[in-house]
Amino acid sequence: MNQKKIFYLTIVFWLLIFSGFILYKEYTLRTGTEVVLKTEPVDPRDLFRGDYVTLNYEISTLDLEVVPAEDPHFNYNDRIYLALALEEGYGVPKKVYRNPPEDGLYIKGTVKELIYDWEEDEDGIVTEEPQIKELRVEYGIESYFVPEGRGLEIESQQWTGEEGVNVKVVVDKYGNAVIKSLLIDGKEVEI
Amino acid sequence: MFGEDLILKWLDEGTIDHVQAEKMREDLAEYNRERRSKKQIIAFSTIGAILIGIGAILFVASNWEKIGDTVKVLLLVGSTVGIHYAGYLLKYEKQKYPRLGSALILLSALLFGASFFLIAQIYNINANNSTLVFIWVLGVFPLIYGYRSAPIAGLCSLLFYLWISLLYLERTDLNKLINIWDLYLISGISIYFIGVLHGLAEKIKHAETAFKFMGLQALLFALFVHTFELGEYQVEKIVPVIYAISGILFLAVLLPKPLREKLTGFRIDVSISIVALLMAGITLTTIYSPASEKIYMILFNIIFLGLLTLLLYAGYSTENMGIVNTTMFWFVLLIFARYFDFFWELLPRSLFFMLGGLVLLFISVVLERKRRELKVQFSGGEQ
Repeated sequence: MNQKKIFYLTIVFWLLIFSGFILYKEYTLRTGTEVVLKTEPVDPRDLFRGDYVTLNYEISTLDLEVVPAEDPHFNYNDRIYLALALEEGYGVPKKVYRNPPEDGLYIKGTVKELIYDWEEDEDGIVTEEPQIKELRVEYGIESYFVPEGRGLEIESQQWTGEEGVNVKVVVDKYGNAVIKSLLIDGKEVEI
Repeated sequence: MFGEDLILKWLDEGTIDHVQAEKMREDLAEYNRERRSKKQIIAFSTIGAILIGIGAILFVASNWEKIGDTVKVLLLVGSTVGIHYAGYLLKYEKQKYPRLGSALILLSALLFGASFFLIAQIYNINANNSTLVFIWVLGVFPLIYGYRSAPIAGLCSLLFYLWISLLYLERTDLNKLINIWDLYLISGISIYFIGVLHGLAEKIKHAETAFKFMGLQALLFALFVHTFELGEYQVEKIVPVIYAISGILFLAVLLPKPLREKLTGFRIDVSISIVALLMAGITLTTIYSPASEKIYMILFNIIFLGLLTLLLYAGYSTENMGIVNTTMFWFVLLIFARYFDFFWELLPRSLFFMLGGLVLLFISVVLERKRRELKVQFSGGEQ
């Protein structure tokens, strides 16, 4: 293969990677359903690292007593599908699935931590097999990038605002999510 | 490479006359000037490309709000393609500035990463995502062979280490499987082995040194960290298996004579295979009879010193200045670290620094003299 062919192939390969990536995300943004997700403040020291804000959603921690699971056995790094109900635009968790549900809105995530619950008798001996109580889940939308130095601004609003910081995400029919905008006290902010 | 001493020897023996000797001296001086100049061009253009690449990555990181996202993407992707074309043009079409062309191709590989990270930033892909780095490696890896680029082989090795580091942070289950320093050590051995494999075929030989250099640095870095008291050393059963497989693979390549003859740095390669097999033994022993952290510290200090000695010997016998420099660098670092470990608590601080400074000055004089002697010997008079 001569160098000219290699040059053209490289450019085509690179442009394919760029455009493939853009198309993948644009598909979600253009065909998906808009959902507002509530964020919960995390430890302020961990809130933003460098020039992005770490977003911790209410659906990042799933209490399996509140949000039932189709199958309660999970392992670290398992793929899950969280069915969401839209209530006044807000995404409210309904049920956790191991496989994509056949219909309805759902968001794809990965189990990152399992929190167990067990009962002990008076002597501190575990009386029954520990059960999974909570799941810590990542959806790939946990970072929001901001211009240099603007992270502090969002952080202060997260703590002083009445409604706090929410995030408008778009979820496509495969459960892929992309952040569309940030809402501070219910208003979309331009950053 | 021959030098003044050989010319004098041939003159004494009557192999050449004075006119021929003079011509040889002139040609040799011209050759050395040319070689120095080539090296300077490569150094300047490569450093220039790296600086621009870092600048582009920092530009992305600053997330400058004055320019819209689309314009930013077009600007960066356009620059990537444009610079890649300029590099191709200078290296292959015009062939007037091949070294600058190579540097521009390296720059385009850096800009490819910057552009990709810009797109990932616009879509708010999670920070410190290992997959992004992996795609960067995937995107630029074919250029090592397409353009016979050694710097891109170095870049890919560096990105590979970055990828495994991020993956290790992402996947907490990896913590239970392997210690991070063992992971770096195995990665270093693997990258070095890839370098060895490249040395076997003429078509891909250009990437041999880059892979070997990057592999050796990671290996020495991981071993160096092991020379400190790191706490309890825990090993899972998979770790000695990986070390053993890598050691055996090394031997499978190094032992057959036809393959061995193709390798220029045979002695250095053997030293690395010894480290792999030694680590297989140590990790296997650790599983069944773990020792205290002090014992591991002493053991790894001995291994590290032993490896440096082997490398110095190999570098000296193959007249490989790069290996000699690398060995001396890590040797100084080891002395520095042990000096801090042993004397920090014992001596008053002022005395500690003064004594430390004197020791380092003394070492630098000895090493500089030795290095100069070796360099003169290797290059036949050029300093």
